Amino acid sequence: MSEAALEQRLTELWEGKKGLYGFLATVDHKKLGIRYLVTAFTLMLIGGVEALVMRIQLAEPSLRVLSPEAYNQFFSMHGITMVWWYASPILSGFGIFIIPLMIGARDLAFPRLNAFTYWTYLLSAILLYIAPLMGQAPHAGWFAYAPYTLTKYSPGMGMDYYVVSLILLTISTTANAINFIITILRMRAPGMAISRMPLFLYSSLTVSVVVLFSLPSLSAALIFLELDRRYGTHFYAVADGGSTFLWQQLFWFFGHPWVYVIFLPATAIVSMIIPVFSRRPIVGYTYVAAATMLTGLVGFSVWLHHMFTVGMSNIAMSLFSAGSMTVSIFTTIQVFAWVATIWKGRPVATTAMYYAVGTIVLLVIGGLSGVFTGIIPVDWQAHNTYFVVAHIHYVLIGSNLFPVMAGFYYWGPKMTGKMMSERLGKWSFWIMFIGFNVGFFPMHILGLLGMPRRIFTYQAGLGFAGMNMLVTVGAFVLGFGVLLSILNLLISLRCGEEAGRNPWNSDGLEWESDSPPPPYGSVHIPVVVSRNPLWDDFDEEEDPENERVLDGGRWTPITSWLDAEPLAIATIPEDSLMPLWAALAVYGFFQAMVVQLIWVAAGMLVATLLFGIWWMWPRTKEEIVPKTEEEAA
Amino acid sequence: MSSVVQVAPPRAKLASLPIEQNRGIHAMWCLIATEAMLFACMFAAYYYLGNNKDRWAHESAPELSFPFILLAILLSSSAILFFGEKQVKKANYTAGRIAVWITILFGLVFLCLQGYEYYSEWMTTAPYNDSYTSAFYAITMLHGAHVCVGVLLLFYLGIMPRYGETLRTPHRPYTTLAMYWHFVDAVWIFIVALLYVIPNIQRLHHHVL
Repeated sequence: MSEAALEQRLTELWEGKKGLYGFLATVDHKKLGIRYLVTAFTLMLIGGVEALVMRIQLAEPSLRVLSPEAYNQFFSMHGITMVWWYASPILSGFGIFIIPLMIGARDLAFPRLNAFTYWTYLLSAILLYIAPLMGQAPHAGWFAYAPYTLTKYSPGMGMDYYVVSLILLTISTTANAINFIITILRMRAPGMAISRMPLFLYSSLTVSVVVLFSLPSLSAALIFLELDRRYGTHFYAVADGGSTFLWQQLFWFFGHPWVYVIFLPATAIVSMIIPVFSRRPIVGYTYVAAATMLTGLVGFSVWLHHMFTVGMSNIAMSLFSAGSMTVSIFTTIQVFAWVATIWKGRPVATTAMYYAVGTIVLLVIGGLSGVFTGIIPVDWQAHNTYFVVAHIHYVLIGSNLFPVMAGFYYWGPKMTGKMMSERLGKWSFWIMFIGFNVGFFPMHILGLLGMPRRIFTYQAGLGFAGMNMLVTVGAFVLGFGVLLSILNLLISLRCGEEAGRNPWNSDGLEWESDSPPPPYGSVHIPVVVSRNPLWDDFDEEEDPENERVLDGGRWTPITSWLDAEPLAIATIPEDSLMPLWAALAVYGFFQAMVVQLIWVAAGMLVATLLFGIWWMWPRTKEEIVPKTEEEAA
Repeated sequence: MSSVVQVAPPRAKLASLPIEQNRGIHAMWCLIATEAMLFACMFAAYYYLGNNKDRWAHESAPELSFPFILLAILLSSSAILFFGEKQVKKANYTAGRIAVWITILFGLVFLCLQGYEYYSEWMTTAPYNDSYTSAFYAITMLHGAHVCVGVLLLFYLGIMPRYGETLRTPHRPYTTLAMYWHFVDAVWIFIVALLYVIPNIQRLHHHVL
């Protein structure tokens, strides 16, 4: 068959239906990945607006833009939205779009589960934002310390919505993690041995495993909280034998690994971008990969550093302080690898590279203030002040938002097929970079001057006023920078240059297919012989007899997990509405639970089961693999 | 700019490979890992709350005979399902299907007996009494919910039309769902050890002292 005929055959196999049905039923990782990115970015904008409202309230002493209760709701919703509904899902969005292309697979291991993951993510965001629309938003911060969250101190449904929307998101995140683990371990292109995996896959794999082992702790804490709030149990009420520290232990056992879930894939984006624009392979590949995995591992043994002030034995605090210091070693390895790559390469100053280098700067500042707060006596001084706010924002904006922007500028042309304006991009970078530093650096000083976190206002004459105005101005400048990039994207969609296959002359397999990629990825399943496939003199033409086309169905190869030797063919399911229906039923269950319609909830559970059965029901009888005569005998 | 080619490119003849059957099983291992962690967190919470509380084990250690009867039921159901899986591997599908339905029956008996245990204990130890009963009921009820889910999954397995190797998903549903059932049974072993046996030992210890 000719190349064109093969393309047509594969398109017939892989292209979903058009129209509304196609929109709702698609299992295509590229469509779902973009949807993930758009949803997460929208939620980031919502969280950002909440932050700006807070900054208006704090711009001058004794303002009354927000009431104290409203301020609490704003900072809670801001934290919850950013930490859970933006920072991790946006990285999942990149992963969902890019991982199958990066490993030469035609979809994720479980495409319908992927669709289910997206719908539950979207519905959990809707569930979360029902609460503020009713005027009863969660008001206890993203960490929701007991006993403040118990009914006695938090009446109303705000905290209940917090619990159920988070449990729904937990389901979504766990499903996504399982999907990533199996995809990365089993579906890499033949020859992409684990020692040749792009670094982004190391971090995605690491955080997926971390999610599996840390999220249950949050689920347990949330289940206990809801039982306490609604069903009269005594997990967190001290008077009845409960313990408020139980919440903190469970929450931070989840919470600190989650920081790395947000952090590692973002640093891996930097690890992908810096070599490309330094025009050489990354320095210390093995060390960066090992550092990534070790960060994920050690992330499980640092959680008490969030609790240095609650009163623990010195030995426990010392151990956890030392554990926290260890993380800085692993992060430093990554930073030095990036710097060395730029040093030894011939850097090209693109917007993506600007954002990547900006990340390094901000990460080092945020990392250093992290070392400060990891030291117990300093933590006691800085605890609950704006110093910690400065630290968390340097780490999370520096090593999440900036890498994400870098990722948009780097992979954006692959997703949209259009180039974005470099000039506007660099303007956006500088405005964001300056705005961010103007906005957040003074917070260090404010914290050391003694301004506490989570206060809705402060009095004049305490010396906070001028710097708070500066912070507010900086925050607005940062927001303006983000808007410029959105504008850049919209302009490029209308009248951007065609991107072509590999506009950046990158090394990864994702640049082998067209931009935007056709539904099947690449015609010939790639074979990999090195870490930088597209930089080597080896490409598709070496498949003259079409042995690697796999057009017998919706097929993609399965390989062994270490050496990536081809083992089998995976069949990928077609479009289906069942993930959407199942997600709606699960959503209905949680929505009914929160308004205490127990029978509706039970009905929704049954509906979930039925949709699940229909989802997994075998369609035809011819599906059974006929036994060969040898096997039968 | 190009890095060194490490080995000669493999000539992979992909189209003649068999259809893969194991993704679901691997995903089930992941699910079991995260579920095991959920129970581990709950056990940790149980002992965290019970730490340094004398009256905890002294007054509230539960009856020992009942959980062992339940354990026997679950273990034998696992054995039956294991036997059924062996039969399915030998293409003995009817025997496999019967094993599923017997397992469902055992699961239902387990749920009924656990309901009876709750009913008979509720007067003295209801979940809203104190933090001990809260943790005890939360963990055992969460396990009960898992048994429920297991029974429903087995129900799906019981009515599905075929078990053999397949060209399309679901691949090997029997093995995958049996794994889940074995996991739920294994959790009960931990519950018996941590929530029934150890508190009773602690109570004995307390009385001796």
